[in-house]
Amino acid sequence: MLRMSHLSKVYRTHLIETHALRDFHIEVKHGEFVTVTGPSGSGKTSFLNVAGLLEDFTDGEYLLDGASVKGLDDNQRSRLRNEKLGFIFQGFNLIPDLNLFDNVDVPLRYRGYNRAERKERIEDALAQVGLASRQKHYPAELSGGQQQRVAIARALAGSPKLLLADEPTGNLDTQMARGVMELLEAINVKGTTILMVTHDPELAVRAQRNVHIIDGQVSDLVRRTPSLLNPDAAPHDVAHAT
Amino acid sequence: MLKYYFFLGLRSLRRNPALTALMVLTLAVGVAASVATMTILHAMSGNPIPHKSDRLLSVVLDAGPLEGYKPGDKPNDSQSTYRDAMNLVASGQGQRRTALYGMSVTVEPERKDLGVFGAQGIVATKDFFPMFEVPFMAGQGWSAKEDADGADVVVLGRDFSEKLFGTTQSVGQRVILSGHPFQVIGVLDRWRPLPRYYLIIGYGAFTDDNEDYVFPIATAVRHKLPHAGGASCSQHFEPGFQGRLDSECTWVQTWFELSSASERPALQSYLDNYAADQVRQGRLLRKAKNHLYNVMEWLEHLKVVEKDNRLAAWLSFGFLALCLVNTVGLLLAKFSSRASEVGVRRALGASRAQVFQQFLMEAVVVGLAGGMLGLLLAWGALQLIALQSRELALLAHMDWTMLALTFALSVLASVLAGLLPTWRACNVTPAIQLKSQ
Repeated sequence: MLRMSHLSKVYRTHLIETHALRDFHIEVKHGEFVTVTGPSGSGKTSFLNVAGLLEDFTDGEYLLDGASVKGLDDNQRSRLRNEKLGFIFQGFNLIPDLNLFDNVDVPLRYRGYNRAERKERIEDALAQVGLASRQKHYPAELSGGQQQRVAIARALAGSPKLLLADEPTGNLDTQMARGVMELLEAINVKGTTILMVTHDPELAVRAQRNVHIIDGQVSDLVRRTPSLLNPDAAPHDVAHAT
Repeated sequence: MLKYYFFLGLRSLRRNPALTALMVLTLAVGVAASVATMTILHAMSGNPIPHKSDRLLSVVLDAGPLEGYKPGDKPNDSQSTYRDAMNLVASGQGQRRTALYGMSVTVEPERKDLGVFGAQGIVATKDFFPMFEVPFMAGQGWSAKEDADGADVVVLGRDFSEKLFGTTQSVGQRVILSGHPFQVIGVLDRWRPLPRYYLIIGYGAFTDDNEDYVFPIATAVRHKLPHAGGASCSQHFEPGFQGRLDSECTWVQTWFELSSASERPALQSYLDNYAADQVRQGRLLRKAKNHLYNVMEWLEHLKVVEKDNRLAAWLSFGFLALCLVNTVGLLLAKFSSRASEVGVRRALGASRAQVFQQFLMEAVVVGLAGGMLGLLLAWGALQLIALQSRELALLAHMDWTMLALTFALSVLASVLAGLLPTWRACNVTPAIQLKSQ
């Protein structure tokens, strides 16, 4: 699904160069649920931004769904994001002056679906996250957990192949976090590949695989049995997590 | 997609009502000020007879005295002497030609309840009606023979006919003007070319008064009725009515109509020959240049649109520019608070161009709202202006052109104001905005 090799990402100002990612290798297969951990500043978010085509990379190779994304222009990258990727953010990032229906509608508009198809997909997605009855509500009328569910519905509506989540439970209490995590796992079971950055060791070990990043490089790759079957993971797998 | 952007634009109006209201108001005030002054200027500088304004030519021959004259000085007056006017009308040059001047008579109506009263009108030659396309309600103008004879025939204005006879169907009736019985041969419909170009000197270009009547110059001369309106007499002349007709006093407007504007040089050379001939006869002492002005040149020559009006328009556009700068600032504030929305939209698949379109459309929506409010404000401003004087009341009318201009100006202003903020918005780095919320 996603493969990066010898990839580097350098931020340059006229004074300093910062190597956010260096000689970065990773491969994520179709249907995997991979968590990404690492200390602050280690390059987790840079990795996610590059993976999500939100930022360009400096050097190396990146294949998304089997095709190289090197040298694509803004329009092509935007279309790829729209068609293949779904995003979930820590801060939910719903658009406050649109109701839930219109929020979930956003990626579908850019996809160019007709009205009937959009409606069907929006209703499906909201039903999947258990908010079908609240289409006309505005984000401010929902709890944090519910808002994140809407964001997940929005990410799902376009049937992405890869779901990128940046600390999706970071702003939620434990109970809500668990709910969101269960939802993501259910989505993964249905076949969507998920790549999730997290600080929470408990969540990290629930995934099939945990990737640990330090100083812009993958420090170890631990293949695990499916998380649902083995919820109490061995502690060494997440030894570096903060 | 545009419909979607329009919907989003409407939505975001509600997002920050105070900021939105301020923007709409700023735009509206700027646009209203510009449209109000433009309306006045537009009415003032409008072409009163667009389809033939370049074929209607007014004549200026300088019949002024030599005293104090230096070659190249402006003509003494822009009206003609009676003698030149009559000669030129008799010349047969051009397709049509007419001479006209103001007239003031006393009316003795048959209706005894009215009593004797004064009435303002003009005297002219027969081509006056077709040349200036004066609309008739009933009857018609007079013939060449009636011109030559000075027949007692009169064409009445619509209001005047109604006042005298209670009807516009007064053709065939008799009316006594300054003691002489006239036969009514036609009734004019109301017509009000703005500016009233055919007789400006002595009356002004913006007058609400329709002529009460029009009758032949020769009739006025036969009855020795003196002219009304402006006249310039700077040389000695013999006393008496005939003395005045023979004098170098100027009070007559002379107009030619050409069948094509290309005949103008021919008319000019006829005029030059005529003037040279008059010089040989000991007249036109200044031997000055002879002028022909078409309608728009004539309005320019008589300075119908004053410099002050143009200045006011420029000032109001300056004011609009100021409002625009303010709107730029407000839009910057509004859009920069939406950086995270841009981030999300970009992440969800919007290209930079799509974000650009969306935000520009939002500016357009603000512009449309500003246009609607601006229209109201402009209308209010024009009502206030109209209260100042009758002349302004005549000009302070919003027409479709101005209505369209209001919206076009408002949308254009908002798009201009929106360019920089929109450019900034669509260049938001999505990655940074998504993390920072």
